[in-house]
Amino acid sequence: MSKIPDTILLRYGELALKGGNRNSFEKTLAANIASATESIADVKILRERGRMTATLKSNPERIERVANRIAEVPGLSSLSLCIPCEADPETISGLVNQHLLRMFEFSAPGAPRITFRVETKRADKRFPIASTEFDQYIAQRLPESLWDKLQVQLKRPELVIGVDIRTKGAYVYFGRTPGIGGLPVGSQGRVVCLLSGGIDSPVAAYYAMKRGCRVDFISFLSPPYIGEPTRQKLVKLVRKVGRFQPKNRLHIVPFTEIQEAIRDHAPEAYRTILYRRMMQKIASRIAFRNRGKAIITGESIGQVASQTLSNIACIEEASLLPVIRPLIGFDKLETIKIAREIGTFDISNEPEPDCCTVFMPNGPVIHGQIAHCLEAEEKLDMKGLIKNALDGIEAIDIDTDA
Amino acid sequence: MGVVFHLGKPHASFAHSIKAGHSERRPGTKGPRVLIILPPMNDPIYLDHAATTRVSPSVAATMMRALGDEYGNPSSRHPLGSNASASIEEARRAVASSLGTRSEGVLFTSGGTEANNLAVIGFARALRRGKPGTPSGHILIGPTEHPSIRASAASLTEEGFEVEVMQLARSDKRGSLDIVDAAARMREDTVFVAQMLVNNEYGTRYDIARLSRAIAARAPKAHLHVDAVQALGKIELDPAGLVDRAVSSSFSLSAHKIHGPKGVGALVLSNACLDAKRLPLPIIHGGGQQGDVRPGTENVPGIMGFGAAIAAATHDFEATGKALVTARKALESALTEFVPGVRVLIPWSDDQTATMAPQVVSILVPGAPSEVWLHHLEELGVYASAGSACQAKKHELSPALLALGLTSEEARRVLRFSFSSSTTAEDCTEAARRMASVSSALAHL
Repeated sequence: MSKIPDTILLRYGELALKGGNRNSFEKTLAANIASATESIADVKILRERGRMTATLKSNPERIERVANRIAEVPGLSSLSLCIPCEADPETISGLVNQHLLRMFEFSAPGAPRITFRVETKRADKRFPIASTEFDQYIAQRLPESLWDKLQVQLKRPELVIGVDIRTKGAYVYFGRTPGIGGLPVGSQGRVVCLLSGGIDSPVAAYYAMKRGCRVDFISFLSPPYIGEPTRQKLVKLVRKVGRFQPKNRLHIVPFTEIQEAIRDHAPEAYRTILYRRMMQKIASRIAFRNRGKAIITGESIGQVASQTLSNIACIEEASLLPVIRPLIGFDKLETIKIAREIGTFDISNEPEPDCCTVFMPNGPVIHGQIAHCLEAEEKLDMKGLIKNALDGIEAIDIDTDA
Repeated sequence: MGVVFHLGKPHASFAHSIKAGHSERRPGTKGPRVLIILPPMNDPIYLDHAATTRVSPSVAATMMRALGDEYGNPSSRHPLGSNASASIEEARRAVASSLGTRSEGVLFTSGGTEANNLAVIGFARALRRGKPGTPSGHILIGPTEHPSIRASAASLTEEGFEVEVMQLARSDKRGSLDIVDAAARMREDTVFVAQMLVNNEYGTRYDIARLSRAIAARAPKAHLHVDAVQALGKIELDPAGLVDRAVSSSFSLSAHKIHGPKGVGALVLSNACLDAKRLPLPIIHGGGQQGDVRPGTENVPGIMGFGAAIAAATHDFEATGKALVTARKALESALTEFVPGVRVLIPWSDDQTATMAPQVVSILVPGAPSEVWLHHLEELGVYASAGSACQAKKHELSPALLALGLTSEEARRVLRFSFSSSTTAEDCTEAARRMASVSSALAHL
């Protein structure tokens, strides 16, 4: 029976550059990988110099699934499925040939040649042949039937045949799957993300996670104006975008009382800005409770009336923490492209209303002024409204899809 | 609550009905003489799990929720509706996670037959080439496919598709697919390939991975559909592990083969299929449910039951595999020991686990046709089938058996036993012993 891969070689992205912090970064990354794969198989993760390996101790036939899952863990530049074998030149060459013959078994006669290169790494210097010489050793021993199917090309080949020689044996791999890059989630601390149910906020959360932030999600619901279907939509969104981090919590904040108070006591044109200032105030307090250091939003300059520079300034003034806007320079189409890639677009597109559509003003202010906001808020029982909202929070822990 | 009470005592009512049947056996009619040597009472031994399985109590309890208090229409906006919708999504996730695919790729259907129809007709139409009047494309189907694949493919010839059947490897008596021949039949205009994973009549496990490599090389635009109805719950059904990553694929599943309810199944699209934005065109039309690919108010109780059943059936393949192999070996060795003249079509072999599934064993019985053996066995409380149960109502010989090289006379003498993980070695030995009690009478008919 032919040997099958049992190990995945994991290469770091930017992590490799982080001098002093590297040890803790690696630990965080290993823990995140373990958490991402625990429901699929028993995976043992080993940290080695400059990279990691993940070895399946159960369910060997799930290796592709495990690799696909790990490819979504922030902090990895690429990964390869490795077939273990003895560190013996002939054995390695035989394994490479066997695999290539299988790979090209049905390739049509006359099909264009595939360009390749061999890439040997020799950590065990007792291995009798030096790395570059071993590249040639492998290439020279390719089966004759493949000579018209393969062609050596050192720069940007279509196929990389990897040989990794270690003290306890060797690994052979074919090609690399790209990871998503970035930094391990948790290595940069925690943030909160305002999740509206639209297309932008899940994408903003994705970028925060990709840069190593653990994201807690916050949504505002106004029952009975906004019903159960919106709540389920938010849960679905977290389930989808939350797969890039190990644990997910959605804080659902009751917002009806606040919206009704703003409707009744504040100028109509300022409603949306005032809603958003309230969201900032509440989100800052939720962040404090969870050691969050920033607020992530899906805002982009000029996209809607509430996202003009003056209105962004009015909203940010209410926040007690830095507001980070990963999508600030994105066109809508760019955001949609990423939303499709991470799988949130179709969920965001479900036509459920969000709380900003409640009591929507006619003619919202385009260039809001902070002074007007503060003036309007003086007429509201800010402390009481915020306290009631915080007291009514429902926190849901959400399992993501493996 | 009455129903729950019955569920707490599995088999009780079933056993009772069988016993009653024995005591009332047609007094005036001429029963087969061999019955005299029977022990007075036989607990039934059900060895027909490839036909269907008993709904497990936990599955039935899950379904009772939807049949009782949680009766909402999943499309309704009130909490009864959104709870039903959430339950369906939970079941969708259970199906997806058992295959390692994304939940948006799970389309619930009325069963395996509809899933196969949706795959064959829906994908062929979606991938149709050319304009009306010009050839629509080439379709390849396996030599032993279920009628729901064969008939739906045949229906496409009227729409300008060319349908070709692959063949079994001639050299090999184990029923494997001739993939070199299949590759030679693949063409640039091949749009669809269907090949089952585990044969429902004799348990051959086909090499889908190698077939998919042939598709990637020879017919890269084709979609591969895998009828996995008999494989579900027995082996890992992960498209990422079974199918070349360059090939978009789909899998059809049925709940009632894994202790779930009848009338519900799924067509599961692989991640590669979703990434390629390939969806089958709908074959029924309606009100937008399931992305309008398979509309109609969802079968909420059935879907919830399917979700519960698939989670239970796929959580420990190692234990399931061991139990099935133990049963298989016990049956084969007891048949060889007790019943002269029986031939196991494809005998179990521990080094052939990649090419055969333990849960289906077909035998060639001597003398009387399988139908006669079946009725004698049922009198003895042993329930098996002749060929596959789905075709039992059609009076045609199984193409799968003929493809294996059996003569038509031999194909009439094939009995199929099939197991679930609850089948024990004792059940199998006892079944063979009971079979032995009628064998001398039937072998020379």
